Amino acid sequence: MLDRFRDGDESAVKAVYERFRGPVFAISMSVLHDHGLAADATQQTFIKAWQAATTYDPERELAPWIYAIARRTAIDIYRKQSRSVASDDVDSTTLPPSLDTIWEVFEVRSALDRLPDEERLVIKLSHFDGLTHVEIAAHMGIPVGTVKSRSHRAHRRLLELLRHVEET
Amino acid sequence: MSDERAEYLASAAGLGPSDRERLDQIREILGQNTTWSEPPPEVADRLLAAIGARKTPSIRAKPEPAPRWVWPAAALVATAAVVLVMGWLGVFSAPDEQVVAIAGTELEPGATGQAAIRETESGWWIRLDVNDLPAAEDGTYYEGWVWSDDGEGVSIGTFHFRGGEQSVILWAGVDPEDYPAIWVTLEDEDGDATASDRVVMRGRPESQ
Repeated sequence: MLDRFRDGDESAVKAVYERFRGPVFAISMSVLHDHGLAADATQQTFIKAWQAATTYDPERELAPWIYAIARRTAIDIYRKQSRSVASDDVDSTTLPPSLDTIWEVFEVRSALDRLPDEERLVIKLSHFDGLTHVEIAAHMGIPVGTVKSRSHRAHRRLLELLRHVEET
Repeated sequence: MSDERAEYLASAAGLGPSDRERLDQIREILGQNTTWSEPPPEVADRLLAAIGARKTPSIRAKPEPAPRWVWPAAALVATAAVVLVMGWLGVFSAPDEQVVAIAGTELEPGATGQAAIRETESGWWIRLDVNDLPAAEDGTYYEGWVWSDDGEGVSIGTFHFRGGEQSVILWAGVDPEDYPAIWVTLEDEDGDATASDRVVMRGRPESQ
């Protein structure tokens, strides 16, 4: 697939996009805090990746390479937007996150995307929606015991995926 | 998320102490809307359309065949024109012309090129030939620099490549031996004359 991506093969470009659209969009959103700008950043990231694909070494991990392009693209757009706003109007709370945080967002979203759907949903309902296991069971229409075991599996698998990324 | 809530989630997930610690590090990210958001579906379509537009060559009407006598004459004229243009561009490298390879940075990893440098009575003539450096978007431009090892940079000119060309003539009023590094930066049209930190290409003579 990577060789075909380098050649600009449409199915390979789609496959790379499908694999990384979530993490790329997540870090674009964390930098830009705007859906439209993040969508533009995401599109530009994959165009740049395709343009630079002939120099990509398939022996290397693809994720860090895509991440580097995405991060710089989002920050470039952030800087352009900042320059178009009077300095008095710049809200300090909209400063981009640190490089470590941006990488962590990319890692976490990449790991979440690799979870089975039902495990990812349990984690989302727990952490993002703030539901208890009883509430998750009611939401998903499954027994509380199933939610507990699924939550246990999901968290362990998520942390294992993150450990694998850190080791590579 | 409160500490009580975090403790509940960690214990409810049956995690040991080290896993709880790692989960604690990422719990804020798991709770953010940005982590779970999805790009709109049309991004994929726009991406494929943009790539398709860059790949498809322009379709030209098939020309009428020319009379036989035209071709030899046309070949002579074309050759003469090419020689004139190449001479003007300095493609026939002069004995005193130095060629420096330049490469794209992490900002433009696919870009490659070279800078041919020749001393003239007006200063140092520098022809930059690049491959796969995208045109500068509206509101931005590229700027060439020669840089000393002391960290002093001198601008050698600006360009944008929006016409499709990937070759430009730049000029240095300082001796490249004192400023051996060649940089290309991406600049915003903001009136700021100093170099931005967006270095897209970089090179220096191999002997240095």
